[in-house]
Amino acid sequence: MKLTGKEARKLLFDPIVENNPIALQILGICSALAVTVKMDVTLVMCAALTTVVAFSNFFVSIIRHYIPDNIRIIVQMTIISSLVIIVDEVLKAYVYEISKQLSVFVGLIITNCIVMGRAEAYAMKNPPIRSFLDGLGNGFGYSFILIVVAFIRELFGAGEFFGIPVMPEWYPVNNFLLLPPSSFIIIGLMIWVIRTYSTSQVEENDNPLKAHTFKPLTVKKEAADG
Amino acid sequence: MRNLIIPLLVCIACAVVVSITAVTVRTEQIANVENEKRNKIISAAGIEITEDKVENEFKKITTLYVDFRSNEFVSVEAKYDHLKAVLKSDLSEIVPKDKDIAILKRRENVGPIYVWANENKEVERVVLPIRGYGLWGTLYGYLSLGSDLNSVNGIEFYDHKETPGLGGEVVNEDWKAIWKGKLIYNQDGGVELRVVKGAAKDEYQIDGLSGATLTSNGVSNMINYWLGDEAYGPALKKIKEHIKNS
Repeated sequence: MKLTGKEARKLLFDPIVENNPIALQILGICSALAVTVKMDVTLVMCAALTTVVAFSNFFVSIIRHYIPDNIRIIVQMTIISSLVIIVDEVLKAYVYEISKQLSVFVGLIITNCIVMGRAEAYAMKNPPIRSFLDGLGNGFGYSFILIVVAFIRELFGAGEFFGIPVMPEWYPVNNFLLLPPSSFIIIGLMIWVIRTYSTSQVEENDNPLKAHTFKPLTVKKEAADG
Repeated sequence: MRNLIIPLLVCIACAVVVSITAVTVRTEQIANVENEKRNKIISAAGIEITEDKVENEFKKITTLYVDFRSNEFVSVEAKYDHLKAVLKSDLSEIVPKDKDIAILKRRENVGPIYVWANENKEVERVVLPIRGYGLWGTLYGYLSLGSDLNSVNGIEFYDHKETPGLGGEVVNEDWKAIWKGKLIYNQDGGVELRVVKGAAKDEYQIDGLSGATLTSNGVSNMINYWLGDEAYGPALKKIKEHIKNS
């Protein structure tokens, strides 16, 4: 099965809007809340995650025929955590200030559901190049959401863009946007926008509200008085 | 059999790659940590840090080492790190319980003083490392004194485990700013500076951090210990002479 250009594009760009890991699969939310206060920190985090997910997919896919089925998760974790350590070491060496701000969140890429999810769902069944592209695509999807959230939070929360003040002086900064819960709201609004545009993502309502089927209790007057 | 060999091979491959990376970037990482330490020393001294200035500013510093047992200035090997020395029994000693107000347990035998001196060999400012127990753990920082070796120039904490928003406010710029100009020693030469509850009444008092009495006490105690007779106190009295004759 040869990889065509169309397929490659689909692998790379589908996860950005059509099949976004955060907006559709609701994976990897934790770091999306934590590291989106500033653009520069967010960009480093996005680059770190994209690297890890792309290469973990690639390496898992290379040895996918040799991984014994009953211990596959452990083998995947070994590869993922090695990649995360490498990324962490490199960040500490070359972008020390930002790596201090990212603190534990680089290490927590190991537990990021997107990385494990793609290794398990895609890389175990597909050849290396496709898996690599799938990893890149999902990294882009994650990055897309994080960058939009960080842009909104930094611009309206601190009045800055990449640490440079851009908002006019009369603008009162909204400190709520600097707190993690604000990203919940922003991600929620983004999901709303994406699903309005791409209606196939709208989920069926599994638990529709039903009308009351029982009569309200009639309380006897004496009992109520007593 | 495959259950053993595959994980073993994966582990070996991963271990090799991780080790190679770690060794390759080691020098840069050490340089970063070293740089960070310099930044803290310089900003404790009340000098504003600009990217290119740190290196130049650090060249102005003379680092002296004090042996706390004899209160003499000594020379140490180039790689000496006073915080690592605490972990070695031959380079540190147990602090007696009754004197251990900062709750250090062990104290290094030799500690650094960073001195800024002008062309006439007069001390302009000094920076001392301080540390001590707060509420949840040890606070690590630097304290800077002015040319009179009595008034505070600045204080900086680079590592602490205090509660964010309460004790963690030791790194608050506004709080650090009120240290400037406060006096350490009284007329008798004893350490007088205290972090007090509520507002400071004179130049020997620092406003306490509200909701962080234990952290405030910890900071008082560490100032008391490190500037007292047990640590840098005697050496500070001799330092002007020493720089003059160097």
